[in-house]
Amino acid sequence: MSEAMHAAQFDSAAQQEEAATLGIWVFLATELMFFGPLFFGYYYGRSHFPDGFAAASRHTEVMLGTINTAVLLTSSMLMAIAGEARKANATRLATRMLLLVAALGIAFLVIKGIEYRHEWQERLFPGAGFFFPEHQHAAAARMFYFLYFGMTGLHALHLTIGIVMVLVFALGLSRGARRFANAERIEVAALYWHFVDAVWIFLYPILYLVGRSSG
Amino acid sequence: MTNLESHAYRRIVLVWIALMALLLLTFGSAYLKLGAWNNAINLGIAAVKALLVAVFFMHLRSASTMLRIVAVIALLMLALLFGLSHTDYATRTMQRVPWQTPPKSQNAEGGG
Repeated sequence: MSEAMHAAQFDSAAQQEEAATLGIWVFLATELMFFGPLFFGYYYGRSHFPDGFAAASRHTEVMLGTINTAVLLTSSMLMAIAGEARKANATRLATRMLLLVAALGIAFLVIKGIEYRHEWQERLFPGAGFFFPEHQHAAAARMFYFLYFGMTGLHALHLTIGIVMVLVFALGLSRGARRFANAERIEVAALYWHFVDAVWIFLYPILYLVGRSSG
Repeated sequence: MTNLESHAYRRIVLVWIALMALLLLTFGSAYLKLGAWNNAINLGIAAVKALLVAVFFMHLRSASTMLRIVAVIALLMLALLFGLSHTDYATRTMQRVPWQTPPKSQNAEGGG
C-alpha cells in the first residue's frame, strides 16, 4: 500500500515514524520551556502573596473552568481514539472523531470567551480600569490576573493552532487524502493536542481552585 | 472492528473515566477546609492526570527509550530551572520600592 511508503532518507516506515515522533517530542520539550516561566511567575506570586492570590483566584469562574477541563479531557480521549482508528485504517471513524475533537476545541474557546467577558465586566482585566473589591489584595490580584490572562491566552493560542491542524486532517481524510492524513501525521497532531491538554490540567487547579475553601 | 482495536478503544475510555473521576475529586476537595493540604491534593491530582495523559494517550507506556528520555529530560530541565530560580527568590527579602514613602521614619525604629 502506498501509505506505508517512506521517504528516501529513512531505512523503513518504522524508522520514519520514530523520527517524526521524536521530532514532536523535542518540540513539546521546548513548549514546556515556553510555558515554564509563566508557571514560575505564578509560583513566585503564590508563595510571596498567598492571601492575595487566593482572594484573586476566588473571583474566577470555577464552574465554567471545571466544565472546560471536562471538555478538554474528553477531546483528548476522542483524539486518542482518532489516532487508533487511523492506525487501524478505520478512516470514517477517525474522520468523525477528528471533527468532534475540533468541535470540542471550539466549544472550549467559546466558554473561555464567556469567562473573559465576565472578567472584563467585573474589571478584573489588569489594565487601566482594573478594580479589585478587596483593596488590601489589589496589587497581588492584579499580578494574578496578569498571569491568568497571559497563561490562558497562550494556552488558547495553542489550542487554536491545534483546532486548525485537526480540522485540516479531518477535511483531508473526508476527501480521501489518505496519504496526506496518514497515521503518522495524525499521531503527531494528537501528541500536540494531548500536550496542550496536559498544560490545562495544571492551569485548572492553580487558577480556579486555589483558596476556594477559605475566605 | 478487530478485537485488538476494540481493546485499545476500551482502554482509552477507561483512562477517560479515571480522568473525569479525578477532576470531580479535585473540584470537590477544593471546597473542603484542609489548609495547606488543599494545595498538595490539587497539584498531586493534576500530576496524576497529566501522567495518565502522557502514559496512555501519548503512548509513553509503549514508547522507545529515546522518546522516554526526551520526555523525562524536559521535565528535569524545568525542575532544574524552577529549583535554581527558587533559590534566588527564596533567599531575598522583599524590598519596598525606593520611591515609596516609608510608613514610619527610619530613625524611629533603631532609635538612632
